[in-house]
Amino acid sequence: MKCWNCQTEAAGNDLCPACGKVQPLASGATLFDVLGLPRGVEVDGPALERAYRERSLRVHPDRVGKEDGRERRLAAERTALLNEAYRTLRSPEARAFYLLKLHGVDLLKDEARAVPVPPALLEEALELREQLEDAQGRGDEETVTALSDRVRTRAATALSAAQSALRRLERVPSDEAARSEAAAAMARLRYHRRFLDAVDAGDEEEI
Amino acid sequence: MAGGLLQIHDPLKPRGFAVGIDLGTTNSLVAAVIQGKPRAFSVDDGGGLLLPSVVHYAKDGSVIVGGQARVLAGVAPTSTLASVKRFMGRGPEDPAVQALGAYRFARGSTSVVRFEVQGGPPVTPIEVSAEILRTLKRRAEAALTGKVEQAVITVPAYFDDAQRQATRDAGRLAGLDVLRLLNEPTAAALAYGLDKGSQGTFAVYDLGGGTFDISILQLVEGVFQVKSTGGDSALGGDDFDRAIAARFLEHFHLGEQGPAEVTELLAAARAAKEALTSVDATTVSALGRSFPLSRADLETWISPLLQRTGVACRRALKDAGLEKGELDGVILVGGSTRVPAVRRFVANLFGKEPLGDIDPDQVVALGAAVQADLLTNQARQDEVLLLDVIPLSLGLETMGGVAEKLIPRNSAIPTAASQVFTTFQDGQNALDVHVVQGERELVADCRSLARFRLSGIPPMPAGLARVEVRFEVNADGILSVSAKELSTGTSQSITVKPTHGLTDEEIEQMLLDSIEHAEDDIQARQLREQQVEAERILHDARKQLAAFPDLVPAEERTEIEAAMAQVEALRDEATESGPLADAIHALDEVSRPFVERIMNRAVGQVLEGRRVDEVT
Repeated sequence: MKCWNCQTEAAGNDLCPACGKVQPLASGATLFDVLGLPRGVEVDGPALERAYRERSLRVHPDRVGKEDGRERRLAAERTALLNEAYRTLRSPEARAFYLLKLHGVDLLKDEARAVPVPPALLEEALELREQLEDAQGRGDEETVTALSDRVRTRAATALSAAQSALRRLERVPSDEAARSEAAAAMARLRYHRRFLDAVDAGDEEEI
Repeated sequence: MAGGLLQIHDPLKPRGFAVGIDLGTTNSLVAAVIQGKPRAFSVDDGGGLLLPSVVHYAKDGSVIVGGQARVLAGVAPTSTLASVKRFMGRGPEDPAVQALGAYRFARGSTSVVRFEVQGGPPVTPIEVSAEILRTLKRRAEAALTGKVEQAVITVPAYFDDAQRQATRDAGRLAGLDVLRLLNEPTAAALAYGLDKGSQGTFAVYDLGGGTFDISILQLVEGVFQVKSTGGDSALGGDDFDRAIAARFLEHFHLGEQGPAEVTELLAAARAAKEALTSVDATTVSALGRSFPLSRADLETWISPLLQRTGVACRRALKDAGLEKGELDGVILVGGSTRVPAVRRFVANLFGKEPLGDIDPDQVVALGAAVQADLLTNQARQDEVLLLDVIPLSLGLETMGGVAEKLIPRNSAIPTAASQVFTTFQDGQNALDVHVVQGERELVADCRSLARFRLSGIPPMPAGLARVEVRFEVNADGILSVSAKELSTGTSQSITVKPTHGLTDEEIEQMLLDSIEHAEDDIQARQLREQQVEAERILHDARKQLAAFPDLVPAEERTEIEAAMAQVEALRDEATESGPLADAIHALDEVSRPFVERIMNRAVGQVLEGRRVDEVT
């Protein structure tokens, strides 16, 4: 890909090697590519932090000249992507949702309904929610803590099940069994996450 | 702003200075980096740096800002507006608007709070803030003897989108190009000279007059990353005053008071609170009564307020993924952190003695000045990069009045996110989009930012239309939202203004109205012209005194030097052009004989060897 400003070959560079202008990201780039990290279920934490800092220093709008409108827009876009990549890949849970999406199942979008959830899970989720609301209504901190500890353990179990299926899927992208296993585990995790968010929202009300 | 380079090469249009402004609830400050160091400018003739954020509207329509306005609060309480920052970006029905205070709200306004004042139509908090900004701009221009065109203005980290928009609009109205809205705690950390060499994780505890902010920041290898932030945009030192006032009223069994009485009582309460930072006991004297107050009493009453700050601090630590022992330092900001109980509380909370070498009143403005310099001074571009975050989650209303978060709080900015929605009725041709901000689960408990309707969706069965709603947050933390229908390629984008703000048209109208204030600007320009003239005449006088010492008798020399000192003093201190022009004129007069002698000698040298009649 040639630099939009000076036409020098700039493929794979954040900045043009000749004129130093911020370059757009290649189409089809994943959030892993945005940070220049190897794609995978695991991410090296310190490497992630370092990549985020180094790339921010290169493409942040505050670092480019104020004169060139096109470069500023590119810098804002690149930085927004960088921030999204950092936010997504730093959290093991968000990272798992994202990997699953790369494998064609986007649980954070409206396709969520496509993944069937066992009725027993749904029923249990509803019941736990009711118990939580009761406890929050009574101001019963102990029960809230006990419930959220229980759900947190389940969330961790669901996440590690999803991660092991995703690892298989990363090796063999056509592994349909691994795909549905990962999707099912992440769908469970999503219910648990909703519950834990409701706990946090409850804490919020006390502030 | 067109072509910075062009402006540099155009000597007739010098590039203005860039300043940092702390637009505070109680006091405001302006600062700039001069010769590498941030410095706050005096905002009154006495050399004080704090401009009370008080605006008085006089009967004749004139506007008085600062200390003088505060004095007038007793005479005209409803036309003297203090703590307007609390009203920025708020609707009239907001509970925070109903807090104790001597204001009279204009009726009939639905989206923006308007105060009824004498001498003119009702004013919005944006216009009141613009008056404060205009005064600061003028003071900085006088100190810098040059135009101030660009500013970094600080906002509490906890300010939501509407409050940020309102602050930016106020800057625009005051004739400033707002380079950046900077979170106050971040500014404070910048002021602590955390430069490329330093590393570490810091907590900034900022308790101002009306707002409380907590931020956790990390500096690694030249990148200043805000890890988390939190706070309460309606909690501050003013609440300490209110707590004292409430006890006072309770003690004397006094009911509801009029605006003048409330103002008097709050002023007495503030004085007592300030006294208690250095003494153990004092009295609150107001409304013809005296009420004894001990430091211990005050500490008991404000304890619940401090506990509220503690909850926010623990949450910020949790969001940053830190334990309290992992911090390298705690920075105190805001006048209210002078209260000894606050310092003790903070030291206890974080298990660390807070830093306090920079005046907590100035630290935010100084940091804003540093950021203004970093953003405009090409030579400093690669020193420190600041990566800030949004304070509150941004989301959309979904079915059942539930808020769906699109961008979680503490996300680094600039950022973007999108979500695809679908229709739920056959043939549905429009979709209502409701943008909210906050952490609560139900839309009703979050802050409503904007509502709009995406229409023109082609008729199709329920669930087939796909509407993508996209959020974009810029580096100021300001949101724009767009929506488009994907399945048919029919696209429609809308950028939203907050529900509780002013429209662009209203801002334009206000800008036009502000031409009425042009008189002040002419004054400021005349002053600057005289300051340049003063510089020129002083330079000439010094040069001539050095070059022709034999042409000036001792007595005359003393006179000239006295006149020079007078010009020099007024050049630095004058706020009007008149006295400075008079002093320049006086210096001109007293040095005339000396200048004539110099001229004569020069003429004499030229004429040497010629006959007088050849010349005349």
